[in-house]
Amino acid sequence: MTQAVFPVDIKGISERDALDEATNGSEGEGTRRSRAIYALPAASFLTAGCDLNPFVGQASAATLAPPAMNGIGQLPLANPVTPSTVDVISVSPPTVPVTPPLTDVTSAPVPAVPVTSTPASPTKVEPAPVTPAPSSSSNVAVPSPTVSVPVPAVDVTAIPAVLSPLVPALNPASLLPSNPPPSNELPAASGRPATATEAAQFILKASLSVNEQEIGDLQSTSYGEWLVKQLNMPIQEKGQQWMDARKYNSVTADEYFYQKALSDFMVWHQMMNSPDAVRKKIAFALSEFFVVSSTGMDIHWTSNAMTYYWDLLNHHAFGNFRDLLEAITLCPVMGVYLSMLGNKKEDEATGRVPDENFAREIMQLFTIGLYKLNNDGTLWLEGGKPVETYTNDDITNLARVFTGYNYDFTDNGKTPMVRTPPFVPPVLFNNVDYVYKPMTSEPQNWEKKQATSEHSLKEKRFLKTVIPENTGATKSLGDALDALFNHPNVGPFFCKQMIQRLITSNPSPAYVNRVASVFNRNSSGARGDLRAVFKAILLDVEAISPSNAGTPTSGKLREPALRLTQWGRTFGATSQSGKWAIPPLMDPATSLSQSPLRAPSVFNFFRPGYVPPNTQIATNGFVAPEFQLVSEVSIAGYVNFMASVIRGQMTDTSFDVTAPYTNELAIAHNSEALLDRLCLLLAANQISARTKTIIKDALDSSTVVATSHNNTKLKRIHMAILLVMASPDYLVQK
Amino acid sequence: MAYISKMEELSRRAFLRRSRQVAMAGTAGSFAMGLAGIGEAAAFNAGGDDDYKALVCVFLYGGNDHNSTFVPYDPVNYNLYSAIRGGGAGQTAGGLTPARASLEATALTPSDGQTLTNNLQYALSPQLPRLKTLFTDKVMAPLLNVGPLVTPLTLAEYQNNSKLRPAKLFSHNDQQSTWQSSDPEGSSIGWGGRMGDLAMSSNGTNALFTCISATGNAVFLAGQKALVYQVAPNGAPAVDGLLRPLFDSTKGSEALLKLMTQTSTNIFENEYNKVALRSIGAQGVVNGALSRTTLHRTFQSPPNLNPLADQLKVVARLIAARQELGVKRQVFMVSLAGFDTHDNQLATHAQLMGRLDFALDAFYRETVDLGVANKVTTFTASDFGRTLKSNGDGTDHGWGSHHMIIGGAVNGGRYFGVAPQISVNSNDQVGSGRLLPGISVDQYSATLASWFGVSTDELKSIAPNIGRFTANLGFMK
Repeated sequence: MTQAVFPVDIKGISERDALDEATNGSEGEGTRRSRAIYALPAASFLTAGCDLNPFVGQASAATLAPPAMNGIGQLPLANPVTPSTVDVISVSPPTVPVTPPLTDVTSAPVPAVPVTSTPASPTKVEPAPVTPAPSSSSNVAVPSPTVSVPVPAVDVTAIPAVLSPLVPALNPASLLPSNPPPSNELPAASGRPATATEAAQFILKASLSVNEQEIGDLQSTSYGEWLVKQLNMPIQEKGQQWMDARKYNSVTADEYFYQKALSDFMVWHQMMNSPDAVRKKIAFALSEFFVVSSTGMDIHWTSNAMTYYWDLLNHHAFGNFRDLLEAITLCPVMGVYLSMLGNKKEDEATGRVPDENFAREIMQLFTIGLYKLNNDGTLWLEGGKPVETYTNDDITNLARVFTGYNYDFTDNGKTPMVRTPPFVPPVLFNNVDYVYKPMTSEPQNWEKKQATSEHSLKEKRFLKTVIPENTGATKSLGDALDALFNHPNVGPFFCKQMIQRLITSNPSPAYVNRVASVFNRNSSGARGDLRAVFKAILLDVEAISPSNAGTPTSGKLREPALRLTQWGRTFGATSQSGKWAIPPLMDPATSLSQSPLRAPSVFNFFRPGYVPPNTQIATNGFVAPEFQLVSEVSIAGYVNFMASVIRGQMTDTSFDVTAPYTNELAIAHNSEALLDRLCLLLAANQISARTKTIIKDALDSSTVVATSHNNTKLKRIHMAILLVMASPDYLVQK
Repeated sequence: MAYISKMEELSRRAFLRRSRQVAMAGTAGSFAMGLAGIGEAAAFNAGGDDDYKALVCVFLYGGNDHNSTFVPYDPVNYNLYSAIRGGGAGQTAGGLTPARASLEATALTPSDGQTLTNNLQYALSPQLPRLKTLFTDKVMAPLLNVGPLVTPLTLAEYQNNSKLRPAKLFSHNDQQSTWQSSDPEGSSIGWGGRMGDLAMSSNGTNALFTCISATGNAVFLAGQKALVYQVAPNGAPAVDGLLRPLFDSTKGSEALLKLMTQTSTNIFENEYNKVALRSIGAQGVVNGALSRTTLHRTFQSPPNLNPLADQLKVVARLIAARQELGVKRQVFMVSLAGFDTHDNQLATHAQLMGRLDFALDAFYRETVDLGVANKVTTFTASDFGRTLKSNGDGTDHGWGSHHMIIGGAVNGGRYFGVAPQISVNSNDQVGSGRLLPGISVDQYSATLASWFGVSTDELKSIAPNIGRFTANLGFMK
């Protein structure tokens, strides 16, 4: 799919016209508005000592008008998904010996233990036996003593070879993230946060927001226990249930099958309301790894198909990677997005060959990546050079595996479309069911039934796997996914990106190694246990240690969509209409540059290796994925958008998600208490004293007392929230 | 880095005060942005009253199917093409092949009687009639089979891996990056940015406006010192709460400004705020200058949305405002996405071609009306070309591709480069019709850079492999 550009689908013609007037003619509305602004506040800014340039040309907030919808239906909820595994509570040890990379991939069934043969080629990493993560049957987490980890060689190959004369000299030592803290800085033996600040810091990484209740709960238990409780929390309402309850699965005059924004509403409702927020946070992270986007999707029932995909991510979030991989592969919306749906075997007569799209991206993005990796996520080098994991021949062969699949139309009914004259007579329209189930390779179950399979029966030879000729679709797929799943790259490739999504942009190799080792083998010896992986990520010392937060290079930029989510959850936002009509928020000039399930391409909103050019981040050899969304345009767009959201006065009147600020109203007269609350809940007190002083001075510039009118109090609350959420202290989660 | 230390020496307050004074005075003449005097290369100086040159990169994200952009039209090669791409009997449409008759109006005839491989005659996509006219008018030149190469490469050398080749071929993100910067993803300096580095001093105190993107972050425009300044289609968005009292409080606005522009010891916080500082500091100047420009066309073709036209429109406005912005050399980037046509290619590609045709034509004609047609050169780029073979209703990732250069300074109306054979077995392709490039991106960039004013000595910093190739392809006057 295509790479990041400004989206086109949320800008209406009318807005464009208005903007053109504003920017083109001298008498456009925007120009008039600018003049008025110029005349009014400039003087006051000047007297206030505020050096500003009073000219405007910006757009207003998001303007997509979602379609009209029916009210909420009453459908029963299906059985919630419950976790099937029993948890062992432990905080990951700070160090685990480096697992040697595997040199062999087989198509054998899932091996429980990775092969530990000595690498055939010289590498920088000494092979060492796999050590299972220590576990405890009690509820007490016991950190291991610090052990010296062999630090892999610095990856300088990431520096462009041909442009290297142009790259500022790098100090190799600066390429390494800070070392793990010494053992005396590990969480206490009980694995319990010492303060509310530490509790909030942890919860804001694991979850989508934090409140006082959660802080108290965590302080009274331990990191491990609290997390397991979250992981055990069932899915209360699937996205599909929410959609169906609103009859969005029905063929009606509202023509929901054409409405692509319904899955935006669904996912925002899930993100802002679901009690299983840890699962939702991780499902969102998975949606940025196994990317499917409704932008550019042009099928009937797009919203429902996207909802099925979202539900799969949630269902498998704490299951096994292999199951998730297969579910995602056969998900109809993935079939559409990466054109596996309808992909046919070769045809010698016409010269047609199988579509390579999914075969390429499942390897490059969903499993193994382009270069062989050490278990700590650094590049495996041979002769000082990285080694590509596959060739185009591998892709051409693997492409045959993903042939012969289409929608499963088994027992799929049709309903007459309800259409107003002159569109008569009614047309029969396919019911939604086929986008709510996996694709099938059985041609008699397709919409256009046929007798013969479209699956390629040629030999499929890729990586070191050979699927012999005349192997059918189901077995080919299973064998191929097994082979990819068992490739030694998957653990470090996947785990590093999940760490980046949840904890920090630049995890140490040792951290990646610890988590990837859990991926390779959980405490029962199984590979791909996502529950164990996410526990390992969140309970690692590098995630928890409060001392890390003070490092100049720690943290990650909070994703814009997660900032809005946090606002909604923290302040109890609700939708008056129940529609949760939040439109796509991809436009950087007027909203967030990011909107769940709306990535501009399969390469996500940003790349895990993105280096913002001309920055200290680049000079130090770090990456900052989320900075791919940062620009002169998006920074202004974000602040403007949040100001409108916080105040509850969106230009787009259909944006009906507003917050009551009940808890804040009660303390609004006490600026210090208000600010303390916001700093804790929004930023785990990672707000500097200087920033707090700046905000407090602004809050105190107007008088608010206990008996003040709510509107007066709300102004102070709005300002306090916006200033916190616009501060760099908040924007970078540490 | 020099830039950062300079930047940090600046008093932010002084800087903002200066930008206000500038805006109040209605000119950007002294708008410094802290970049004064750091350009080390000699200024490009052609003299004259309106010394100005701009390069505009039009990136076609996803990998444009060059085989649907340039379609064989002569009967022999059309039939070869049709046989590979599922055409119908009697030269009718079928598979990915358009009917031969539909190509008549856009068939290209080089002005100088130039002949191509196997007497191939191309027609442009039927959706490109305006670009056909630009070819006929000799202001558009196609560049045939260009792609990333480290060194000239034969099929045998490719197959036995005996010579260096670009890394991560056929991968979207990496080949986008390779086209833009000579290296796969993770690279942080692009050749547009390098030209910006060399040109910055020509722009004096307004060097911030040297490299401007209307399409988000891309490595192409990032230089060692040159920054990528971003604009939206309607200009530079302002922070509302700094234009008028934030929630009715001037103290609130003051606090917001302080928060958004304060320094921090955390490098992520600090870099975020540096961008905020540029955003706040520059938007008034940019929008002020833009507001005083007038274009000669709307760049709109209702009811179709055309994001490329929107972007090129703001580029045209910025060019119109060049004197007020105080710039003499600029590199712009715009883009159009959606070219990864693995399926539904016929409809998708046709729609994209329509947008490309309208937008490129409107932009060229605007430069004529602005009197800068000879000073502005527009060129296309893309991830890669695509397979000549069909996968049923689409095509897959390739390597070499055909591109277009447009402008008054272009030696248009003829081809540059060697046309590939219409074949999936010939030695100018590596399988399924994935073209083995005959021309390197380095030659493409070096030719553009030479026109832009980059000296021969400096070409290697734009095009690192240029030493192994002919440095100038001759498509620029």
